Amino acid sequence: MTALVEVALVAFVLGCALAVVLLQDVLAVVVAFAAYSLGLAMLWLTLQAPDVALTEAAIGAGVTTVLFLLTLTKTVRPATDGQLFSAIDWPGAAVATVFAGALLWTLPAIPAVGDPDAPAWSNPDVSQFYLANAYDQTGVENAVTAVLAAYRGFDTMGEAVVVFAAVVAVLVVVRGGEGS
Amino acid sequence: MSERASRLYTESTVIMTTVRFVAPFVFTFGLFVMFHGADSSGGGFQGGAIVAAMVLMLAFAFGLESTRQWFRSSAVVGLATGGALAFVAIGLGPIFRGGAFLEYEMYGIDHAAKYGIEGVELAIGAIVAAAISGIIFAIAGGFEYTEERDD
Repeated sequence: MTALVEVALVAFVLGCALAVVLLQDVLAVVVAFAAYSLGLAMLWLTLQAPDVALTEAAIGAGVTTVLFLLTLTKTVRPATDGQLFSAIDWPGAAVATVFAGALLWTLPAIPAVGDPDAPAWSNPDVSQFYLANAYDQTGVENAVTAVLAAYRGFDTMGEAVVVFAAVVAVLVVVRGGEGS
Repeated sequence: MSERASRLYTESTVIMTTVRFVAPFVFTFGLFVMFHGADSSGGGFQGGAIVAAMVLMLAFAFGLESTRQWFRSSAVVGLATGGALAFVAIGLGPIFRGGAFLEYEMYGIDHAAKYGIEGVELAIGAIVAAAISGIIFAIAGGFEYTEERDD
């Protein structure tokens, strides 16, 4: 059952990716890209990564789509001349195929999902230490949060300050017409 | 500028009513994700994104200009600054009590680490929500080149 859902989700995500590449109308591409992000978010969920799934759904499917739509309203939407699909760029397709092939070639080197011998899991000094001690040392049940906000809290502060700097920089440079 | 904003804005009873009904729940869910990141999936980054999504939803339903008047860029910067300062303050607090940076136990209350982590998540959520809505407002508000500005 889970395998069936995963296969269906992968097929959906690949179909959306193809639609993003092939569709002629830019607005349709934006919608297909949002669907692609939503499918990816559900795929993360089946892979037991709910934290990543939440972020993908909110940022990938939500905010990025709004940014693209805003860009469309601020610029021009090129005419499609009634065509549904754009012409395929064969040199680009060849490069993409070679690149995807190279990535797929490395696939056997990745440990299977849930493999107990995977280096990221079996490492006694890092993953196993956090999983064994996170609750006793921090009192939170989500080990991801324990690493983010306690063990690696200083790094997270750096990330938060980067986001803060980003919004301040954008608001200083792009002074939107507030009050005008 | 205002012509452009009014072109974006289409009054729709269905959308306005739906958003008015859904927005409090989305906002609560965002806060829930921020706080509950300690015990289940979620956290400040995700919760902040959800709260920002609610702000964008309001902007879609009630028009960008009226949402911007409600959530001005001074409020956006204030929220982001408050979040960043709160994170730094929570981190520096234990140092003044003789501990290390972010050593929550130095606060000397029960479950200090858990409350500290939840405070940090809330601070991150404030920064992220302000950043996303602020950047989108800035882009949606239209660009004004510095040379052309007359203030």
